[in-house]
Amino acid sequence: MQPKKSTKIISAIIIVLFLAIMVFPFFWILITSFKPGEEIFGKTAFRIIAENPTTANYETVIGKGILNSIKNSLIVSLITTVYVVAVSTLSSYILARCRFKGKSLLMALILGVSMFPQMIVVGPIFNMFYKLNLLNSYWVTLAYSSITLPSATWIMVAHFKRIPASLEEAAHIDGCNQWQTLWKIIFPIALPGVFTCAIMTFISAWNEYLLTCTLNSDKMYQTVPVAINALRTQFSILWGEITAATVIVVIPTLIIVLLFQKQIVSGMVSGAVKE
Amino acid sequence: MKKAITPKQAAFLLPLLLLLAVFAVYPIVTSIVYSLFDYRTNDPAAAGLYTGTNFNAPLFYEDCDYSAWYLEDDVSVLTGDDAAELQAAADELKALSEPYKDAKEVVEMSKADSEKMAETIRDLRERILAVYERNPDAEYWNGPEKLTILLDEMDGCRISGNFQGLAAYKKLLSDSRFGKSLKSTLIFTVISVFFELVLGMALALIMNKAIKGIGGVRTTALIPWAIPTAVSALMWSYMYDGSNGIVAKIFADIGLISSPEQMLLSAGGAMSAAILADVWKTTPYMALLLLAGLQIIDTGLYESAKVDGASAVRTFFSVTLPLLKPSMLVALLFRTLDAFRVYDLIAVLTGGAQGTETLSIYAYKLMISQSNYGYGSAVVLAMAICVALIAFFFVKFLGAELISDD
Amino acid sequence: MKRFLAVILALVMVCSFFACEAFAEEKIVIKFAAQGDSTPATQESVDAFNAMQDKYVVEWVDMTNDSGAMKEQLITSMKAGSSDYDVLSMDVCWAGEFAAAGYIEPIDQMMKESELRASAFNAGSMSAASYNAKTFALPFFPDLGVLFFRSDIVSAEDAAVLVSGDYTYADLQAMAEKYKGQGGTTDGICFQAKLGECLMCNLTEYTAGWTDVKGGLEAMKAMVDSSAVPADILNYAESETANSFIKGVSVFSRNWPYQWGEIAANGTITQDQVGVAPLPGGSTVGGWLLGINKNSQNKEGAWEFIKYLATDGQKTQATTGGHLPGYNAMLSDADVIGANVMLSMEGFQNALATTISRPVSSEYSKTADTIINAAHAFLSGNGDLDATAAVIEEALAG
Repeated sequence: MQPKKSTKIISAIIIVLFLAIMVFPFFWILITSFKPGEEIFGKTAFRIIAENPTTANYETVIGKGILNSIKNSLIVSLITTVYVVAVSTLSSYILARCRFKGKSLLMALILGVSMFPQMIVVGPIFNMFYKLNLLNSYWVTLAYSSITLPSATWIMVAHFKRIPASLEEAAHIDGCNQWQTLWKIIFPIALPGVFTCAIMTFISAWNEYLLTCTLNSDKMYQTVPVAINALRTQFSILWGEITAATVIVVIPTLIIVLLFQKQIVSGMVSGAVKE
Repeated sequence: MKKAITPKQAAFLLPLLLLLAVFAVYPIVTSIVYSLFDYRTNDPAAAGLYTGTNFNAPLFYEDCDYSAWYLEDDVSVLTGDDAAELQAAADELKALSEPYKDAKEVVEMSKADSEKMAETIRDLRERILAVYERNPDAEYWNGPEKLTILLDEMDGCRISGNFQGLAAYKKLLSDSRFGKSLKSTLIFTVISVFFELVLGMALALIMNKAIKGIGGVRTTALIPWAIPTAVSALMWSYMYDGSNGIVAKIFADIGLISSPEQMLLSAGGAMSAAILADVWKTTPYMALLLLAGLQIIDTGLYESAKVDGASAVRTFFSVTLPLLKPSMLVALLFRTLDAFRVYDLIAVLTGGAQGTETLSIYAYKLMISQSNYGYGSAVVLAMAICVALIAFFFVKFLGAELISDD
Repeated sequence: MKRFLAVILALVMVCSFFACEAFAEEKIVIKFAAQGDSTPATQESVDAFNAMQDKYVVEWVDMTNDSGAMKEQLITSMKAGSSDYDVLSMDVCWAGEFAAAGYIEPIDQMMKESELRASAFNAGSMSAASYNAKTFALPFFPDLGVLFFRSDIVSAEDAAVLVSGDYTYADLQAMAEKYKGQGGTTDGICFQAKLGECLMCNLTEYTAGWTDVKGGLEAMKAMVDSSAVPADILNYAESETANSFIKGVSVFSRNWPYQWGEIAANGTITQDQVGVAPLPGGSTVGGWLLGINKNSQNKEGAWEFIKYLATDGQKTQATTGGHLPGYNAMLSDADVIGANVMLSMEGFQNALATTISRPVSSEYSKTADTIINAAHAFLSGNGDLDATAAVIEEALAG
């Protein structure tokens, strides 16, 4: 049964409208980034096309080293994603599959640690990094585990729980050990969940501000949010530069999402999961 | 019957436990300890965790040094016995500070020694002030005011301990600002998470469609979330601006607010502004988690629902929603936890004005701006307890199976 | 022979390279944590110091201009006992807290040995830099609030009154209402009433240095409720104020001297259209101070650098950076006056003579937080005058 043409059109309109509203603020960032300083305020602030469009904002932020910040952000976000996904896959497999005493407590603890605001985490971690001489380095990625690991683990547990136990039993009969079962049987089926989790971790790390700002004060190691937030003078915020920088930094994330978005969905549709 | 964890299982969990212990549990425990002390780094008497009597030796040395130096300056304008008396006091101060010359940190000091020190300082003060009183008209370089301040500070070097047990939590109960910020945090959390859930669900259903160009749709829909919060908060403050903000202007034009300035300056406006910006930013997060959940639902179930003649709406409520429960639980839990801790967005938009001060903002002001780590930590812990309660209810109603085995 | 010469040459080069290396290693590195500078002034000052002696080499750690974030970074670092930064740039209102926390070193002895007297520096900055009878910092650059007005709109008679400083906030409000709408303007006056440190500075001025809390609150409330200000004045900080004034939207504006440079850089009006006047209750002192980290391993070098930057280095700060010099001797320096037109303006000189400061205390943040929350609520119409004044008086008393 095909849905009627009119319903199709209406739903298409709704989808487009929905997306348009979601994208509008970014669209506004985009057009503001081409406005010269004097057009950002006053009546010209509402113009869609700038009177005197300019790429000066882009040149300035590139001159200020935004590309280096993007490199840093990519490095820390990728490292974080890889190790967080690895660690959470290992542990959620056990948490989803095995019965043992104190498991509920452990799950509650993992959730519990993400109930605290970051400001209390920063001080002690700074002291630790200071004593170990790890400040101003990519070691900051380890500290990111406090913000990404709990949610990654919970997401993966929810996902692993849905994979039928029969698959695993079959693997056991075939003589696979736990490690092989996880790696060869469970992991491939759980791939969409793994990718969802990877994208979430990547973006959380990409967005992180407080930890990297405090632990890596050296400009060499500045990540994107810190670099953009620094685009101000003592009394004013450099809107033109901020918008240009935002446009530049959103591009790499979009490419990554575009590359991985298929994996989130397709794996499962074709997967062998029947409950 | 549940068994204890096997070593092999423990090995799989080890990396997670290690990371969490170092980067989450350790800071949290530190914070809990702070909350038991009246710990304020901008007050030398409370700048550490002191359980017994202590002595701030470096500051004491510095103060003795300064007093002796100031006194010697003033000796030069006096003559006779008074000059000798002041000089003697200066020498005594030097001798008193001598043992602490190389002190680098606060040291322990017995109660008896501490009282003896107080006695000595009191005695010195009397003698010094007496000299100044006898010669009120002399033109001192420094004078009695400065010496009094220094002697007060010297006396303050004797630290009597700042352990206070649960006093900070008692104070919370009568702190109206805590109550107010708890209320606004709850309002913010409930409304924004509700809208995020509804809109996120809609977005997930759209993203789940196998239509042409869906890859582009999925990617575009994730844009808001890919902009760092610290940055998007700034952008929203530009767009909400009463004079230059496009969003404020549009809302005023369509009559949602009476004039663009009302956006951030009326109580309702400021809160709605913050909620809107948060919903915009995190709906994609919700959608992505729900989308992952949608993937696991067996398509066969939809087909049989169709055969039964169920409408799309009915299918959604009777088939999709129940099966989506675990994913929804995870999404709701982490969104609630996040919304409850909201900081950047509100700090940038209003700085906490118009009743938008949330618990995080209050705790930040206490801890970071005012260096009151003791009370700030208590606020943070109370906040964690509130979220824990909410989380408990979510788990209870939406899916205990995720935590337990049954 | 040629080959021999080449070898000798290479050897010499290698040796000199190592000599240089060894020589470079002998220099002690001084780390200077200071906020970003949109002008080359800070870098030039650092380079000048590095060139004039060969014992130390100063490295500027470029911090953010988000002052809240910078304060947090500094505090986190110093609380951990870090010696990473030797010299710190601090907002004037942080000094009391940093001093009480024992993060910064008192400098009276060093000042005495270098024969520097506190009276040689900007008085407002020095009062912010002293805590518990000790001096902890020297001025990096002072700042003070002034009134900017459109000299092409305001009558010569009114302008003379403003420049003399002999007027009240009620007079200013009346003038703002009178001139609003002339010369293409739509607003009378802008100042900073947004919930934040900027409101604290403005309140200091309205209350004449906290001597008349009630009168100040009343005057500010009257101003906020009048037709002279933009409708969202309670959300105005410095940048909104500057934007309004330099775009020719408002006739009057209370701001820091940087707004003078903004007119030339981004404005649609010109500097000839603008006059400067003192404020009725006095001008709040802002700006930045230089202090030494108590845990620094190189306090002597840190002091040498501060001494230079706060005295002779003030010339670069004033000419290249466009800042007001914190070293009084520079106020009469021809180059400095040449580079800062404002310094020779009568209204600005009158403002300089009437500086007032925010309370200096180890609990400053707490005091300020209580005051601005109460005042902002009152200005928004949620609180009565007596109760608000009482809360503020209590906070001031500590």
